[in-house]
Amino acid sequence: MFIEIGHFAVILALVLSAVGIVSPILGLKTNRPDWVRIGRQAVTLNFFLVSIGMAAMIYSFLTNDYSVRYVAATSNSKLPIFYKVAGLWGGHEGSLMLWVWILTAYSTLVVWMHWRTQPVTMPYLVSVQSLIMFGFLAMIVFLSNPFERIYPVPLDGKDLNPLLQDPAMVVHPPMLYLGYVGFSIPFAFAMAALFSGRLGEEWIKVTQRWTLFAWMALTTGILMGGYWAYYELGWGGYWGWDPVENASFMPWLVGTAFLHSVMVQEKRKMFKVWNLFLIIVTFSLSLIGTFLVRSGVLSSVHTFATDPGRGLYILIFLAFMLILGFGTLIVRSGRLKSQIELDSIISKESVFLFNNLFFLVAAATVFLGTLYPLLVETLKTAKVSVGPPYYNAVFMPVALGLLLMMGIGPSIAWRKASTDNLRKNFLLPILVAVIATAAAWLIGIRTVFGMAGALTVSFVASTIFIDFAKISALWARRHEINYLLAFYQAFTNNQRRYAGIVTHIGVLVMVVGIIASTIYQTEKVVPMRIGDTMQLKEYTIKMVGLHEVSGANWTAQEGLFEVYKGDRLITELRPQKRLYPVSQTPTTESAIYAVHLGHIFLTMPDIGEDNSVTVRALINPLVLLVWIGGGIMALGVILNIFRPRMKTSV
Amino acid sequence: MSKGRKIGLILSILLIAGGLAYLGLGQFGQNLVYFFTPSEVVSFKPDYFGKKIRVGGMVVQGSMQVVPNTLKISFRLTDGAATIPVDFEGIPPDLFKEGKGAVVEGFWDPEKRFHSNLIMAKHSEDYMPIEMKQAGITLPKKDLLKTLQQ
Repeated sequence: MFIEIGHFAVILALVLSAVGIVSPILGLKTNRPDWVRIGRQAVTLNFFLVSIGMAAMIYSFLTNDYSVRYVAATSNSKLPIFYKVAGLWGGHEGSLMLWVWILTAYSTLVVWMHWRTQPVTMPYLVSVQSLIMFGFLAMIVFLSNPFERIYPVPLDGKDLNPLLQDPAMVVHPPMLYLGYVGFSIPFAFAMAALFSGRLGEEWIKVTQRWTLFAWMALTTGILMGGYWAYYELGWGGYWGWDPVENASFMPWLVGTAFLHSVMVQEKRKMFKVWNLFLIIVTFSLSLIGTFLVRSGVLSSVHTFATDPGRGLYILIFLAFMLILGFGTLIVRSGRLKSQIELDSIISKESVFLFNNLFFLVAAATVFLGTLYPLLVETLKTAKVSVGPPYYNAVFMPVALGLLLMMGIGPSIAWRKASTDNLRKNFLLPILVAVIATAAAWLIGIRTVFGMAGALTVSFVASTIFIDFAKISALWARRHEINYLLAFYQAFTNNQRRYAGIVTHIGVLVMVVGIIASTIYQTEKVVPMRIGDTMQLKEYTIKMVGLHEVSGANWTAQEGLFEVYKGDRLITELRPQKRLYPVSQTPTTESAIYAVHLGHIFLTMPDIGEDNSVTVRALINPLVLLVWIGGGIMALGVILNIFRPRMKTSV
Repeated sequence: MSKGRKIGLILSILLIAGGLAYLGLGQFGQNLVYFFTPSEVVSFKPDYFGKKIRVGGMVVQGSMQVVPNTLKISFRLTDGAATIPVDFEGIPPDLFKEGKGAVVEGFWDPEKRFHSNLIMAKHSEDYMPIEMKQAGITLPKKDLLKTLQQ
């Protein structure tokens, strides 16, 4: 019964979203403010209606109602409650529900916060958000309905894919979707600006915090996914250029370009068309990301459905959004001439320009590698895949260039940098970078990757240090306070700038983690029996036991390994080989010990009949820095979103 | 900004973009891995020998042989029409089993054996590598309702 109420609520939401598209525009054109308000009410009401739909789904999951096809397909009576709720987004239909629910929540919040301050653009914004809502709700109601019942009712459910039965399942997909859907807000504001003809910097100022939040959620979501793959899939890496990883990475790359280039428009009123172009591309890539992953065109762990009808619908919806976005942009582009031209190549504007160029080349590279196989399949009958070396070859120089710009950009002057400005800011960092690279060579770092890393990281780190030192010294002198307090005051006085630099520090930390864990990884795969030992760098790993254990819905063979450094026992590791009986799926559970910001990583991928096991042991030095860096990046964004008003300028 | 500077800027943008594109596209061709079925593999011309490819099929029941105390496994892979022998060394995925679908990456040698150190298996019971579905390989797939009602 409850499921039908949910179903009805979602159908009603579909109808209301159609009202939300039309009524605000009609109201605006015919000068009837009450019609515009109807659009606003429709958006708010939709949030409640879709929430009812979500509640009905969760209720069916919790009460094991297997007469609902979707519940029967992604849950099981033995599944822990925790995963029953998360099972809601364990499949295609439920993922769409989560997407649209987040969209209604965002829309309601935006309309509520900006209704009074943005009266001219609001009707268009409501209309655009309702249009996206309509697209997704129509897909839910007509093509991917999670409320559908089946008869006869199965006795038990088919279970959630065991690979998804992990605490990360509760947070990773919602986080990613908060990012994807979050980009719909700057997109809708941009469209509203185009429609209403208010093409100044207003839409950028209004959406700045929304974009930052979406970017942070997407960054966090991607990094969580990486960590999840790292320990769950058991191959000991966090990034494999898998098509689904790429799908989330593309909007991230273009979104990052957007975050940077809007600053140029705010400060210098340049790049107007470019910024609109970037946000349209970012949101389109978010849509492509959602669809690529969920539609079943890619072969991956995230893919659920293979229904050509859905694929076609998705393609039409995407084409419609792209035509709407770029079409309006082209029509309006005549009004968007920048009044100001670039003064010099040696300027902040030009660093931003190259920053954007690099991010877009990176995005295009990923796009080509991800979609080329699909293209080949459609045009010829051949099937291909694109290997990681392709991506690595492009990303090495791109990342290097971006890192260098991360050092130059924040300190170089606007318009035209004087020789004095350059010497004051960059002479010392260049010296430090040269010394650090030489030092890296001396301590035995001989790979191109490692040396380039030492060069760029030390260069950027010293520009940041100089920046912080200078501003602290200035404030300490001016207000006659100590350096620490001066640093704090200087930081909070221009928090937007310094919070951005905190995010840059996070990037540096992550880069160190990526380089160290990539070039200094140690791997050994050996067959072992109880009593055997193996040597992994300075650690001795001894197998001391193998026994049966079981959990709520699985049984496992658990190995017991002692890790020694010299004669000293430092830890015990218990990797498992699990079996989930409902779906007859085996999984490999890794055992991890963190030491010096790195990991000792153990899996037992195979157990023979005579109790001999295959053991895979890895040392991933400094790998934790990847996620610590990610945390610092997110912290920077939080400091940016919740910054105090700027008081005085220095 | 003077005309000369502007041309300089445009040139440097083109140079960097061109350089990066060259890097990407240069690597692109070498890193394309084509997918074949066992039937296609057995009729390969010699110029395909030694090239990195992927082959998808079903692991033949009773064909799997594990060499003790090594990471070597040999088995046969079929698409119903043709069967090829595979020598694998490495760690097979959790869902790699006889009678189930798998995609192997490696190369075909003149002695008509496939050498691989990467196997991709299905991610769940009702999941089949998409390449196989498109190649028209159907696997015994349990009907959801039937199994659930047992």
